[in-house]
Amino acid sequence: MKGKKTSKADPATIEIIGNLLLSIAEEMGAALIRSAYSSNIKERKDCSTAVFDAAGRMVAQAEHIPMHLGSMLTIIAEIYQRYPAKTIKEGDMFIANDPYHGGGTHLPDITVAAPVFVGKKLMAWVANIAHHSDVGGKVPGSTSGDAISIYQEGIRIPPVKFCQDGLIIREIRDLILLNCRTPQERTGDLQAQVAANKVGIKRLLDVYKKYGTDFDFYIEELLNYTEKRLKADIKKISNGVYYFKDYMDNDGINPQKVPIAVEITVQEEHISFDFSRSSKQVTGPINVTMNGLYATVFYSLKALIDPDIPSNSGIYRVFDLIVPEGLIVNSVAPAPVGERIDTCMRVVDVIIGAMAQAIPDRVIAACNGACTTGTFSGIDPRTNEFFVYLETIGGGLGASSQSDGMNGVQVHLTNTSNLPIEALEIEYPLMVERYMLRQDSGGAGEYRGGLGIRRDIKTLAEDITFSALADRQEIPPWGLKGGMAGKSGAYYHISSGQRSKLSSKTSNQRLKQGDIISIQTPGSGGYGHPQKREKEAVCRDMIEGKISRTSAEKDYGVKLD
Amino acid sequence: MKYMIGVDVGGTFTDISLLNTEKKELARLKVRSTVEDPSQAIVAGIKEILEKNQVNYHEVSYLAHGTTVATNALIERKGAKTALITTEGFKDLLEIGNQTRPSLYNYFQQKPEMLIPSGWNYEVRERLFYNGDICLPLDETGVAAIVEKLKAQDIEAIAVCTLFSYINPVHEEKIEAIISEKFPEVYRSISHKLVPEFREYPRMSTTVLNAYLGPIMKKYVKNFSNSIKAMGIQVAPYVTQSNGSIISISETIDSPIRTAVSGPSAGVIAATYVAELCGIKDIITFDMGGTSADISLIENGAMLLSTERTINGFPVKTPMIDINTVGAGGGSIAWLDAGGALKVGPQSAGAAPGPAAYNRGGQEPTVTDANVVLGRLNPDYILGGKMEIRADLAHQAIEEKISSRTNSSVVEAAAGVIAVVNSNMVRAIRVISVKRGYDPREFTLVAFGGAGALHACAVARELGINSMIIPFSPGIFCSVGLLVADIKYDYVQSKIMIAEANKIAEINWIFAQMVAEGERMLEQEGIPASEREYLRTIDARYQRQNYELQITLPEGNLDDKGLQALIEQFHQEHMKNYGYCNREQPLELINYRVNAIGRTPKPNMPKYQLRQSLPTPQPAFNRPVYFEGEQGFVDCPVYLRANLLAGQKISGPAVIEQMDTTILINPDWQAEIDQYLNIMLRDRRIANEREKDE
Repeated sequence: MKGKKTSKADPATIEIIGNLLLSIAEEMGAALIRSAYSSNIKERKDCSTAVFDAAGRMVAQAEHIPMHLGSMLTIIAEIYQRYPAKTIKEGDMFIANDPYHGGGTHLPDITVAAPVFVGKKLMAWVANIAHHSDVGGKVPGSTSGDAISIYQEGIRIPPVKFCQDGLIIREIRDLILLNCRTPQERTGDLQAQVAANKVGIKRLLDVYKKYGTDFDFYIEELLNYTEKRLKADIKKISNGVYYFKDYMDNDGINPQKVPIAVEITVQEEHISFDFSRSSKQVTGPINVTMNGLYATVFYSLKALIDPDIPSNSGIYRVFDLIVPEGLIVNSVAPAPVGERIDTCMRVVDVIIGAMAQAIPDRVIAACNGACTTGTFSGIDPRTNEFFVYLETIGGGLGASSQSDGMNGVQVHLTNTSNLPIEALEIEYPLMVERYMLRQDSGGAGEYRGGLGIRRDIKTLAEDITFSALADRQEIPPWGLKGGMAGKSGAYYHISSGQRSKLSSKTSNQRLKQGDIISIQTPGSGGYGHPQKREKEAVCRDMIEGKISRTSAEKDYGVKLD
Repeated sequence: MKYMIGVDVGGTFTDISLLNTEKKELARLKVRSTVEDPSQAIVAGIKEILEKNQVNYHEVSYLAHGTTVATNALIERKGAKTALITTEGFKDLLEIGNQTRPSLYNYFQQKPEMLIPSGWNYEVRERLFYNGDICLPLDETGVAAIVEKLKAQDIEAIAVCTLFSYINPVHEEKIEAIISEKFPEVYRSISHKLVPEFREYPRMSTTVLNAYLGPIMKKYVKNFSNSIKAMGIQVAPYVTQSNGSIISISETIDSPIRTAVSGPSAGVIAATYVAELCGIKDIITFDMGGTSADISLIENGAMLLSTERTINGFPVKTPMIDINTVGAGGGSIAWLDAGGALKVGPQSAGAAPGPAAYNRGGQEPTVTDANVVLGRLNPDYILGGKMEIRADLAHQAIEEKISSRTNSSVVEAAAGVIAVVNSNMVRAIRVISVKRGYDPREFTLVAFGGAGALHACAVARELGINSMIIPFSPGIFCSVGLLVADIKYDYVQSKIMIAEANKIAEINWIFAQMVAEGERMLEQEGIPASEREYLRTIDARYQRQNYELQITLPEGNLDDKGLQALIEQFHQEHMKNYGYCNREQPLELINYRVNAIGRTPKPNMPKYQLRQSLPTPQPAFNRPVYFEGEQGFVDCPVYLRANLLAGQKISGPAVIEQMDTTILINPDWQAEIDQYLNIMLRDRRIANEREKDE
C-alpha cells in the first residue's frame, strides 16, 4: 500500500497495521518471557510489552497483565521531561519504576523503554515492564503490608538512562543491584528486558521500511478507529448516572474499612467516572496513583463494553476521570502504594456494581477481588543461598446471568500463572501440602459464584519468614440479583498443631521448620436467587464437593438423601 | 504387483492415494467423509480405488491412514468414563490448572469443561520429596478401596498421576499393580509411563486425556483391523501420529493421545517429502483450506516439534508438530466492525451455504467471493467445470456488506479483504518462525490446500520469502504423505542436574535405557537395523531459568569433549533465540529425549523426462485479473495445469487452473515446472535486490 496515501485510511489498512503492531508487541513478550531468569516472569508471565509512537502514545500492548497498562501510560512523557527528544540517541534505553516520577504504579514493576530511530529521526518507542520479585525495601519481596511510606517499599528509580550504544551502563545497573536482595536474578531479568526491546526495535524498523512516512498517519488512524469503535458501543448504553460504593477491609495500619465509590455518567457517546466520594489517601500501602487508576478504568471499559477492542491510547479519548488529588485513588508522595492492586480490584468492583444497573447482562458479580499474596524468604540450607518466593493465588470469578463463576482463577487486573509444585519444591525449601478449591466459598445463586483456592505450604527449613498481603478477608464479594456473597479469604499459621489466624496484611512472620501457612482465597458472588438454581446443578456441585450438604439444603433448599 | 495405499481423513473429504510401486503410477480418489464413523468412508474408498484400478486386495503391501477418532472424541466429548487417582491434597489440580483464565477481558469465555466430572477424582495418602525420596509411604489399603469403588461404578478408564512420579515411579507402579489385580479389564493411563516429565499439571492433563481416549481407540483399532482383514488386505494398517510420523495401529492403544492432532500431519509430511525431491530442506508449509490454515516450519528436513501445545484447552506434553492454525480460509466471512475496520473470519460460510458465488444461499461475502471479483478465481466455474460460479452474486455480497458502507469500489473492497486475510497469514507465519528464532527469508514456502496457491505469492512477498513450491496436486496431496512417512517412537525422562563432567555416566545411562526401548519397538516393527536412527536431545536451561531450549547430542556415547560441545551449542541456541548468552552461568539439564526413527522404504514418485525442445506453454484463454499496486486489472493469461510439461516456464502475471486449486502468479514471479510436475516459483524482484545488496 506504499505511496497510496489517501485522506482517510482504508478499513483494510487499519486492520493490517493493528495486526502488525500487536505482533511486534507479542514477539517482544515472547522474547522477554523465554529469556528472563526469575520464575515470576518466566513461569508466571508477570510482565507486559508495548509499542508507542514518537509522541509517546501507546499504540499496541500485548495482552499480558492489564495492571501494567498503568505503567505504560506516561512513561515516555516522563522520559522526555528529563531527556529532551534532541538529546536522545540511537542505542539509548531508559529505566524507571517510580509511581510518582517514573510513570510506574508500584516499585517492583520496572519498565525499560527504548527509542526507535530511522536514520537520525526518532520514530517510535518500545517498552516492556516486568515485576521483579525484590527491589529492596523493608521486607523481602518489597511489598509490605504495613508500609507507611514509599521509602519503605524499595529503590525508587526515576527515568534514567540505562543503555548507551545498546549496552547496559554498568554504574546504573550496579546502583540498582546493590539495592536488591537477589542481585543475580535481577541481572538476568534486566538483561532479558533489554533483549526484548531489541527485538521490538528490529521489527519496527522493518515496518518503517515498508510504510515509510505513512506510518505516522496510519497510527493516528488506528487511534481514531479505537475511539470510534468504543464510542459506538457506549452510545448503546442508556444515558444516566449510576452510583456504587464498596469497601477495602482496612489499610493495613488502621482497622477501619476504607470506602471506594464511583459515580458514572453516561451521556451519548461519552462516559465519565467521578471518584470524589472515595476515601482520602490512607496510611497503609493500598494507595493508587493516577496512572494506576487510568489503567483500571481502561481495563473495566474493555471488559464491560468490548473485550476485543485494541489496547491503545485511543481508549483514553472517550472517558474522563474526576478525582481530586490526595484521594486513595490519586495519591500524592510519599504515600505507600505497594499493594495498589487490591484497591484497583475494588475500583473494578464498584464500576461493575454501578454498570450492573445499566447493562445487567454484561456484568458479573464481585470476583475474589484481591491479589492474595504470600512471600516466603530465608536461607535455603541446600545451597546456603538467600531466596525470596512470592506467589499470588487466584480465587473465584463472579457469576453472570449466563453461567456460574469460574473456580480458582486470577481475576481482573492480573492473570499470572502459578508456579508448578514440582518446580517450587526443587527451587525452595518448602513443601505444598494441599492445593484445592474451597468448598462453599462460591456465593450461592441461580448461577453459583466461583470457588476460592486453598494452598497450604510447609516449611522445610528453620528461620523462614512469611509476609501476607490481601483484601476481601472481612468484607466478602457481593452477589447480584439475589445471588449471595462469596466467602472471604484468610491466612492461617499452623505451628505445633496450633492454628492461628493472621492479619490480611502481615509482615515478617517468623516460621519454624515444619510450620504450615494456609492461604485461603475468596470465592465470588452468585447471580440470581439460589432457589432458582436447577436441582441437577445443585446435586452435581455436591457430588463434586463444590458445595456441602448443609449448603445444598440451607442455601438452595435442595434436600438430598 | 505391489501397491501402497495412503488415506487422509479430512472433515469434508477423505483422500486416497494408490501407488503402483513397480510401474510408479499414482492413482487418487476423493470420497465424502463419513463423520459418524470415519472408517466407513475409508473402507468404502479403499474398495472403490482398488476396484477402479483392478488391484487385488492381497497385492496391497502397505496401508497407512490418518484417524480422527481421538480428535472427534475430544471435540464431541464422547470419551470414556474416566477416573483419576492422585496425591492427597491435589484432586482439584486439573480444574485449577495454572490458575489463569482463558481470556483477559472476556468474562464469558469459560475454561474447558472437565473430562472427569462428578467427583471421580480420588486422592491417596502418599508423598515424595522433590528428589524422589519417600516422604509418606503409599497407603495401599486406601488405593484398594478406591479401586473397588471404581469397579462398582463401571468406570472404563483410570488415570494415575502423583507428585514427583517422574523421578521416582514407585508409588504409581504400586497403584497400577493394585488396579491390575483388582480391576484388570479397566483401561489404565499412568503418568510416569506416558510422559515422565516434571511439572505436574501438564503431566496430569496428558495422562487424563490419554485415559479418556483409551477405550474408544481400543474399540476402533479392533473394528478397523477386522474390516481391513475381512476385505482381504493382509498387511496391518499404520496410523498417523501428531508428531508427523506413523506408528502401527496396535501401538496407539497404549497412547491414543499421540494421534489426537494428527489431522494436519499428513500434509506436513507430504510437503517435506516433495521439497526434498526438489533438493530443498528448509521450508514453511502453508496449508490453506476452506475454514482454516495450518502453518509449520521444517528445518533441515526435520519438523519442528512442540511439547507445549494444548488440545481443546488442555495441555498435552507428547510431542506434536508445532503447527499454528489460523481461523481463516477461503470460506471465511469478511465484515466491518463497529469502528469501521475490515475483519475476516473467524466465522466461515463453510460448505453450506458456502460463499455467495456458489449460489447456494450464501449472502455473506467471503474470501472466495473477493477472489472471484478480482478475477483470480474463474468467474464462471471451478473444479474443472464441475461447479458453477456466479460472479454477480460475489459482487453483490461485497457491495452490500462492505463497499456501500465504506465509500469504496467493489474492487477496492475485495482487494481489502484479500489484504486482511493475507496479513493474518503473515502474522501466523511470523509466530511459527520469528518467535522461534528463525528468519522466514531463509525458507521456501510450500503452498497447498484448496486456497494456499491463490494467496502464496502475496504472503511470501510480505515475509521476504523469494522461493516457493506448489506441489503437483495441492488440493489432495496429503494422502501422498502417508506413503512416505517414517515410523517414530518418542521417549522422555526428566532428571534435573548441572551439566558437569561427573554427570556424564548418568546421562549416558539415561539415554541407553530409552534407546534400548526404542530398539525393541523398531525390532517389533520389522525395521532393519540399518534403517534405525536415534535422535537424542536434551532440554536444557541456565540455572535459575525455568524455560528450556533443546540441544542435540552427537552420535555415540557422551564424553568430556562432547559435553563441552553440547554446552557451547546451548549458548549459541540461546544467542539465536534471545540475542544474548551467558557463558559464566552453569547449565541445568532437565529432560532427556530420544526419537527412535524407523525409516520406511520410500517409493519412487512418477518422474518425467525433460524434453529437448519444449514448446512455449500456451494459455487456454485470457481474463482480466486484479493485482495490487499500480497495475490494477491486467489482461492475464490463464493456463491449464494438466497441459503443462516438465521444464516449461511461465512468467507472472499469470493464472494456472487445475481441478483442485487455482494458482496465482504475481508480476515479478517466475514459475518453472519440475520433473515431478511441481511448480517452482521465484520472486525475481527480491532475488535481484539481494544480489545488489551483496
